[in-house]
Amino acid sequence: MKPNRGWTPYLFVLPAFLVFAVAILLPVLATFGLSFTRWDGSGPLKFKGIANYTRALHDSVYISSYWHVLIYVVATIVLEVLLGLLLAGAVSARPGTTFYRVAFFIPVMLPLVVIAVLWSFVLNPDFGLLNAGLDAVGLGGWKRVWLGDPNTALLAISVISGWIFAGFYMAIFYAGFARIPKDIIESARLDGAGEWTIFRRMKVPLVRGITEIAVLLCVTGGIQVFDLVFVLTNGGPYNTTEVPTTYLVKTVFRDQDVGYGSALAVILTVVIALIGLLYSRLRRKTSDVEF
Amino acid sequence: MATFDAVSNSDAAQSFAGRKKGVRPSDVLFHVVMTIYAMLFFLPLLWMAMSSFKTNGQIFQSPFALPTSWDWSVFATAWADGGIGQYAVNSFIVTAVSMVAILGLGSMAAFAFSRMKFRGSGLLLTLFTLGLLLPIQSYFIAQNSLFEYLHLKDTRWALIIPYTAMGLPLAIWLLKAYLDSLPKELFEAARIDGAGDLRIYWSVVLPLVRSGMATVAIFSALAAWNEFLLALLYIQNDELKTIPVGLLAFSTKYITDYHLLFAALTIVTIPMIVIYVLFHRRIAQGLTEGSLK
Amino acid sequence: MRLSRLASVVAALGASALLISGCSSSSGGGTTSASPSDQVLRIAMTEPGADVVKVWQQVKSEYEAAHPGWTVQYNFQNDDIYSTVGLPSLLSGGNAPDIYFEWSGNRLQTRVADGYAASIGDQLKAKGVTDKYVDGAFGGTTVDGKTVMLPLAKDVSNVIWYNKDIFAKLGLTAPTTWAEFDALNAKLKAAGITPYAMGNKDLWPAGNWNAHVLSRIVGEQAYADALNMKSPIDSADWVAAMDKMKQIHDSGWINDSVNSISDNEGYTLFFTGKAAMTPIGSWLVDVRNGQSPNFNMDWFNLPPIDGGKGNQQSVMGVSTGLVVNAKSAKIDQAIDYFSVLSGDDIQKAFVKAGGSSLSKAGAASGLNPLSERLLKLIETAPEIVSPPDTGYNLKVADALNTATSAILGGAMSSQDALTQAQQKIDALK
Repeated sequence: MKPNRGWTPYLFVLPAFLVFAVAILLPVLATFGLSFTRWDGSGPLKFKGIANYTRALHDSVYISSYWHVLIYVVATIVLEVLLGLLLAGAVSARPGTTFYRVAFFIPVMLPLVVIAVLWSFVLNPDFGLLNAGLDAVGLGGWKRVWLGDPNTALLAISVISGWIFAGFYMAIFYAGFARIPKDIIESARLDGAGEWTIFRRMKVPLVRGITEIAVLLCVTGGIQVFDLVFVLTNGGPYNTTEVPTTYLVKTVFRDQDVGYGSALAVILTVVIALIGLLYSRLRRKTSDVEF
Repeated sequence: MATFDAVSNSDAAQSFAGRKKGVRPSDVLFHVVMTIYAMLFFLPLLWMAMSSFKTNGQIFQSPFALPTSWDWSVFATAWADGGIGQYAVNSFIVTAVSMVAILGLGSMAAFAFSRMKFRGSGLLLTLFTLGLLLPIQSYFIAQNSLFEYLHLKDTRWALIIPYTAMGLPLAIWLLKAYLDSLPKELFEAARIDGAGDLRIYWSVVLPLVRSGMATVAIFSALAAWNEFLLALLYIQNDELKTIPVGLLAFSTKYITDYHLLFAALTIVTIPMIVIYVLFHRRIAQGLTEGSLK
Repeated sequence: MRLSRLASVVAALGASALLISGCSSSSGGGTTSASPSDQVLRIAMTEPGADVVKVWQQVKSEYEAAHPGWTVQYNFQNDDIYSTVGLPSLLSGGNAPDIYFEWSGNRLQTRVADGYAASIGDQLKAKGVTDKYVDGAFGGTTVDGKTVMLPLAKDVSNVIWYNKDIFAKLGLTAPTTWAEFDALNAKLKAAGITPYAMGNKDLWPAGNWNAHVLSRIVGEQAYADALNMKSPIDSADWVAAMDKMKQIHDSGWINDSVNSISDNEGYTLFFTGKAAMTPIGSWLVDVRNGQSPNFNMDWFNLPPIDGGKGNQQSVMGVSTGLVVNAKSAKIDQAIDYFSVLSGDDIQKAFVKAGGSSLSKAGAASGLNPLSERLLKLIETAPEIVSPPDTGYNLKVADALNTATSAILGGAMSSQDALTQAQQKIDALK
C-alpha cells in the first residue's frame, strides 16, 4: 500500500471525528472541568477546588446508591448471565428449539421504558397481574406492594432486568456453543456422557472467554442502569433503590447543581473505567485461549 | 474481538442426526419446562394486548378474563389523539437519520484507518476506541449545557448528533476489522485501474462491508430507537418526543385510562416483535456482535 | 440469504427518513431554532383537566383572531416532570417559552434571580388587567416589590377530602378536634375501610400533608427556620410532631401502596371508594370533574392539634400563575395574551369547566361550591403555610419529604428519619 497523499485521509476521517469530538470528547473534558466548580447551569461559575468531591464522600444517599447498584449487579449476574448460560445450554442440547430462542430474546428488542411501564402494571398493587395471579392460585398471603416496599423493590427491578436480558446472554452463549467443533461433543456423547456432564465439563469451560466478556458487560452495564429504575421507582421508596445514575440526574436537573453533579459523574466514570481495567488485567492473567 | 456466525438450525439439527428417534420422557419434560418459561414472556404481552379491549372495571375485577367486546377504535385513539403516531414518526426520523449518518461517516473513517497511512491516525483511532468505553454519564451533563448554548435542545438535532456520535466508535471499530481482513490485492487492483480514493470507497469498500454494515445498522438503529435518558433531558416539546419519552408522557397523562394505556403499549411493542420474528437471526447476531465488540 | 433484503429495507428506510426530516426542517417543524421574527407565542404549563384544556384552547383562538398571523402554542406537561426536569430545560433550551406556569415562593424567587421573570406590573395596570381581579389576587405574585406573575389560582395545598357517601353510611361527620379525628380514623378502620388513600411516589403529596401537620405542632416560624436551614429539623419538637404520621402508618390507616403509586393513582383509589379520605389540595375538584364527575365529596381543613405551637387555623397554600419570560422578545404579545385571558367570558368559562378564577367576573359567576369555600378558606386564613417543595430549597424539601415517606412506609422511627434528613441538610451547607 502506498502512502496516501496529503489531505485525502483527513477528509475521510474528519466528518466522523468532528461529530464525535463535539458531542462526546469535548463534553467529557468539560464535565471534568465543571466538577471543580459550583454552577447552577446559567449563572456565573465559581471555582471550588475539590469541594464537590469531599461533599460526595459525605453524601450518604450517594454512597448508599453504590450499595444498591452492587446488589443489583450481583443479582443480575445470576439472573441474566447465569440464567442465560443455563438457557443456552438447554436450547443447544436439543433440536427444534428455535421457538424458545426467539421467545426469550423478544424483550431485548423493546425499549426499556416500555417494558418498565408494562411491568409497573404487572406489579401494580391494586390490579396487577402478579398479585391477581397469587390470589388466583391461593397464595394471597404472598401479595406485596412490590415496588413500594424497600425489601422487595430492588429485587423486583433485578428480576425484571433478568426477564429482559437473560435472553440476550443466552444468544451470546448459544452462538459460542455453536462454534465448538461438533466432533468433540459427538465423541463425548458416544462415550456415554450425559447432556448435563457435557454442558458442565465441556461446553462451559470452552466458552470461558465469552463468559468473562458477558460478566464484564453485565457489570459495567449494570452500574449504569437508569431507565428501569427511573420509571419503576425513581430511587424510591425513600432512596432505597437510588442508584448513581438516578441520583445524578436529580442533582443536575432537579436541583440545578451542575458542578456537584459533574463531580458525581466523574466518580462514576472512574469507577466504571477502573472495573474495566482491573477486569482486563485479571482476564489476561487467567486465560490465554479465547474461544 | 469475538464474532459469531449465525448458526442455522439445520446445522444444529444435524449434530443430533445420529440419535435414535422416538419420544423420551426427558424430552417431554424439557419441552414442558421450556414452554412454561416461555409463557413468562408471552403472558404479560398477551395480558397487555387483551387489556386494551377492557374497561377499567374489568381490568381491576377480572384480570385474566377475555375481553367481552373487541373495540379496535381504542388503538386509533391512542395513535391519533394520544399522539403515539407522532412519537413513532419522531422515533423513525431520529433513528433513520442517525443510522445513515453512522453508516456513512463510520465507513468513511474506517476505510481511512484501515487502508491509508496518515499522521495522527493512531491518536485518532485511540480516541474513537476510548468512545467505546466512555459511559453516557461521563459527558451528558456538559453536553446538555453545550446544546443549550447552541440552542439545539428541543430540536431533532439534539438527539441525532449524540446518537450518531455514540454509534461511531463501534461502527469504525467493526468496519475497520472487516476491512482489515480483506486481501489488499483488491484495493491495489482498483488503484492500478486508476480509481481514486472516493471511487474505491464507493465501488469497492461499500459493497464488501455490507455484512458489517448490517450489524452496525441493526445495533445503532435499536440503540437510537430505545434511547431514553438523552431524549428525556433534551426534548420537552411534545411534538418532537420519541417513543420511550412519549410513552412515559402518555402514561402519566392517561394514568387512569388503563385500556388506552395498554393500547399504546401494544402499539409500540407488537410491530417490534413482528420485525424481530421476521429477522430474528440477523437481529440477534447484530446485537450480540455489537455488544461484544 | 435475508441479508440483502434487510440491507435494501434499511437503505430505503434511511432515504425516506432523510426526505422527511429535510421537509420538516424547511417547514420549521421543530428542527429550526427560534428566530425572533417567528410569530408564535409559546406557553408552557402543567397539564390541566380535559375540560379546562378546552378553555385554554378558547383563549388561543380568541388571541389568534385578534392578532392575525400569530399562533399560540401550548406545551402541557405532567406536573412532576414539569416542575423538576421540564421547565428548567425548556427555559434554557431553544424555543424557550414566552409564558410559563410557576408556583409562588422560593421557586418564583429563583426565576427572578436567574433573569427569567419579567416585571409586568405596570403593563398589566396600563392594559386594565389588574383591575379585573379580586382584591388580594396579586398577593404572592411579587418579588422585591415587583409584580412578576399573573395569578391563576390560590391553591389550597392540603385539606382532607372525604367521600360523603361513606361518611353518611357510617354516620360520620367532619371532625373539629384532633381527638375526634383520631376516633374517626379508628371507626373507619373498624368498619373495614382504609381511612386514607394517597399516591406518594413523587414525595410531595404526603410531604405537603405532613408539612401542614408539622407546622401546626412546631409552629410556623420554627417550620420556616428549619426549612431555611436556620435551625435543626431533628429537635425533640420535630420528632414528637413526626409521630402523628407514624401513628397513621402504625394503625394501618393508609393504603399499603402509598409509596409505590403516583398522585393520580391515589386519587383513583379515593374516587373508586377504596378509601374514605385523601389529604390533598384544591385541584382535586378539577381532577374529579374530569374523571368521575358524579363522585360525592367534601373537605375539611386539618383539625386543631392540642398543644401545638402554631396557629391551629392555619391553611397550607400557594399562589400559582403565569410568568412572562424576561428573555422573550415577545413581552408585549404576552401582555396582550394576558388581557385576552383575563376577559370576563374566558374567566367564567374556566369556572364553568371546574377550574378556578381570581377575576371579579369569574368569582362572581358561581364557582363550584367546593372551590368557592376553598377560596374563602385561603382568603380568610389567619396564617398561610408554604408547602416544602414550592416555598423552600428543593433539596431541603426533598430531605423532609423523604423522611415523611419513610415514616409512612414504616421503615424508620421518627427520630431516625429526621436525623437522616438533618444529615442531608447539613451536607448542603
